[in-house]
Amino acid sequence: MAKVLMKGCEAIAEAAVRAGCRFFAGYPITPQNEIPEYLSWRLPEVGGVFVQGESEVASVNMVYGAAASGCRAMTSSSGPGISLKAEGISYLSGTGLPAVIVNISRGGPGLGSIQPAQQDYLQATKALGHGGFRAMVFAPATLQEAVDLTYNAWEYAERDRNPVMILMDGCLGAIMELVEFPEMKEPDRKGTKAWDLNRNEGESRNARLLTPYFPEAILELKNTSQKKMIERWAQNDVQVEEFMVEDAEYIVVAYGISARVSKEAILRLREEGHKIGMIRPITLYPFPKESFRKLNYEQIKGFIDVELAIPAQMHDDIELEVKGRAPIYEYCRSGGLLFDDDGVYAAVRKIIDGGAK
Amino acid sequence: MKKSLVISGSGGQGVMSAGIMIAQTAVSAGKYATFLPEYGPEQRGGSAKCTVVVNDDEIISPLMAKCDTLITMNEQSYKKFATSLKSGGILIANTSRVLSEITRDDITVVRVPADDIAVELGSIKCANIILIGALIGADAGIITEEAMLASLEAKFGSKKKEVLDLNRTALAKGIEYGKNAKA
Amino acid sequence: MAEYKRPESLKKTPSGFCPGCMHSLATKLIAEVVGEMGQVENCVHIVPVGCSTLNLAYWQGDVLGAAHGRAPAVATGFKRSNPDRLVFAYQGDGDLAAIGLAEIMGAANRGENFTVIFFNNQTYGMTGGQMAPTTLIGQKTTTTRYGRDPETTGYPMKMCELISTLEAPAFVARYALNTPKGCKDAKKAIRKAFEIQKAGKGFTFIELLGNCPTNWGLSPLQTLEYMESNTIPYFVPGVYKDKYKDEVK
Repeated sequence: MAKVLMKGCEAIAEAAVRAGCRFFAGYPITPQNEIPEYLSWRLPEVGGVFVQGESEVASVNMVYGAAASGCRAMTSSSGPGISLKAEGISYLSGTGLPAVIVNISRGGPGLGSIQPAQQDYLQATKALGHGGFRAMVFAPATLQEAVDLTYNAWEYAERDRNPVMILMDGCLGAIMELVEFPEMKEPDRKGTKAWDLNRNEGESRNARLLTPYFPEAILELKNTSQKKMIERWAQNDVQVEEFMVEDAEYIVVAYGISARVSKEAILRLREEGHKIGMIRPITLYPFPKESFRKLNYEQIKGFIDVELAIPAQMHDDIELEVKGRAPIYEYCRSGGLLFDDDGVYAAVRKIIDGGAK
Repeated sequence: MKKSLVISGSGGQGVMSAGIMIAQTAVSAGKYATFLPEYGPEQRGGSAKCTVVVNDDEIISPLMAKCDTLITMNEQSYKKFATSLKSGGILIANTSRVLSEITRDDITVVRVPADDIAVELGSIKCANIILIGALIGADAGIITEEAMLASLEAKFGSKKKEVLDLNRTALAKGIEYGKNAKA
Repeated sequence: MAEYKRPESLKKTPSGFCPGCMHSLATKLIAEVVGEMGQVENCVHIVPVGCSTLNLAYWQGDVLGAAHGRAPAVATGFKRSNPDRLVFAYQGDGDLAAIGLAEIMGAANRGENFTVIFFNNQTYGMTGGQMAPTTLIGQKTTTTRYGRDPETTGYPMKMCELISTLEAPAFVARYALNTPKGCKDAKKAIRKAFEIQKAGKGFTFIELLGNCPTNWGLSPLQTLEYMESNTIPYFVPGVYKDKYKDEVK
C-alpha cells in the first residue's frame, strides 16, 4: 500500500481497524477526538460497532463487555478521561480480558490543558488502576511507529489476557505525516479463545464464568501469575531504540515527541564533536533496563532526561538503573509548552559545558 | 533540503487548510512532510497556527525553533511570530490585515493584500490560496506551481468550474506578488 | 400438574442469600424463564456488584462479572458485538440507581437491546444496610440512624417512572414479590421482556420490589407486611411503558 499523509489520531484508528478491532466505545475529550470521530464511520464500514458512551467510565466498561466475546475492542481518551477509565482498566486485568487503551496525553494535573504533554507516564507505567496490576505501555515517536504498535497491540493483549496501553502525546496525535498501513486482518470470532463467552457453531461446552472476583487463594495465584507475566515482559518484550550510545559520554533519555526533537539536537551536537547518544524507550513498561545495565559507566558523564513533564516522571526509573553511577540531569517543559531543536540543543550544551543541574 | 513554514492567523482564515494543502502537495511531489496544527480551545475566532516541515528524507523533528518561511494572515499573528523567522527567511504578510510597519531588513518580505484581492476576485475564501501563490512565487523551495495546480485540481476539480478557475486565478495573483518581491 | 424442580439455569449449590431474602426468589424466577425459553446456553448473565454478585456462584450459564453500577455498559458492549445472545443484567438499587445511574440511563436512552432486572430492596445489603437512593422516607439504615430525612438526603428514586420518560425503552414495569400473584406477574413480565429482546425490539426494564430481612431488622414474614404497607404505596407496581403491547405478549 502507498504511503498516505494522515493525522496521528486517525492513523491509530485505522491501524486498529486493520488489526481486526471491531468495537470501539469512547467519549469526547481533546486532543483525541479524531479517534472516535474516525471510527464512528469507519467501523460500520467493516461490520464493526462504534458506541459513543455516556462517560469514560461507561465506555471502558463497554469495551470490557465486547472483549468478553472475543471481539477485539478499543477505547481512547486523554489524561482526565484515563483517570475515569482506571476502574475499567483494572477490571480488564482482573477478569483477564484483552483490550487496547489509547491515551493521547495532555497537560495535567486536573483539567490541566488541552495542549500536548507527557504528564501521564507514572499513571501509565505504575498504576493504571487500583489493585497492583501492570499493563504493557507502548510509546510511539512517529506515526508509522504508532500504526505498527497499534496493529500489534492485540497480539500482546490476547497473549496475556491483559489490557495494553498506547501512550502518545497530543503533538503526535495532531500531527500529520506519511504512514503506510499493514494489511487488513480479519477478526477471529470463532469462539475458541478462553475468555470468549461464545461457542462455535454446534459446539456444546460447559458454561463460562468471567469474573472479576476471586476467593483468597485463587486471587493469590492470579497475582502470582501476573507477577510471572511481567517478569516475562522484562525478558522478552522490551522495545527500545539505542541511538549513538556506544561511545557516548552523555545520554539523553526521551520517548515520543521528546525523543524526535532530541535526536535532531543530538545530530547537531555530534557534528560539533560532542559524544551524545540517546536511549528511547518504546515500551515504557517494561522499561528498557538492560540498555542502562550494559553501559560502560567509566565513560559516561551524565544522563539527560528530556520530557514534556515537570517534575520529570521517568527520572526514577532511570535512577533505579543508573544507581548513582552518573548524574541525571533534566530538561523538561510542561503545561502544553513544547520544546524545539534549539531548546534541547542549548540545554544539552549547557550541561556539557558544566552548567546547571 | 529541510524547510519549515509557519502559517498563522485567526480561526476561520484558512490557516489549517492552507497548511494541509501545502503538506499534501509536497507529499504528492515525492517529498516527506509533517503538518502540526495548534489551536486555542475556541471553536471560532481564536488564534490558529500550523507548522509544515518539508524534506527530501524522513523528518526527524517536526518542531523547530525558527522557521524558514512565515505567512502571517493578521496583525496579531505577525506580532507574535515575526521574531521566529530565520534571518534570510521569507515573510509573507497579508497586508490587508497586517498593519504594522515591517522593519526587519534581514529577510525577504512579500506584501500581499490577500483579503482585498480575494474579495475583488469574488470570494474572501481564496485569500489563503493567494498567500500560497506568494510562497511559490518567492521561491520558498517548499512546493512548485505545477504540484500546487495539481492539488487545486484534485481538491476543486469535482466542484463547479468557476470554483477551480477562481482558485487558479488566486494562485496566479499570489505568484505574481511573490516574484515581484523576490526580484 | 408440572413437577416443581430446580431450574436448569441454577447450579446445585446452596444459596448464600440470607434466609427469607427475595434475591433467591427473583433469581429463581429469571432462571425458570430462561429454562422455559430454551435459552440456558444462549443466555449471558451480567452480574454486577452487591448482593447480586452472589449469583456468580449460582448461575448455570455464561456469566460475565461487571464493576459496580456498570452492568448496562458491559451489557451494551457484549450485546452489540453478539446480537444473537440473550443478555440480561440483574442489578440492585445501590448499583443501578446510585453509582450506575449514568450507565442505566445511557443504555435505556440508546434503546439497547437487552434486559435489565432491577432488584429494589431499598438498602445496600452486602455492605451492611446503608441508605440507598430508594430507601423510604423515615426508614432507618446504618447511615440514616434516625430515619431517612428528605431535607438532607432527598426522596426515594423511582426508576420505572424515570426510565419511562425516555423515548427508546420498549417495556418498563414494576412488580412486588411479596405475594404469589406478584411473583407470577413478575415472571410473566420477565418472559415478555426476554421475548421483546429476542425480537430485537429494544430495551426492557423490570423492577422487582424485594426485601432485606437482615438489614431491615424484620423477620421474613414481617417484611411481607412491611412491603404491603410501606414499599408498595410509594413504588406503585404496574406497567409504565409498553411500546409493543399488541405485538409481543
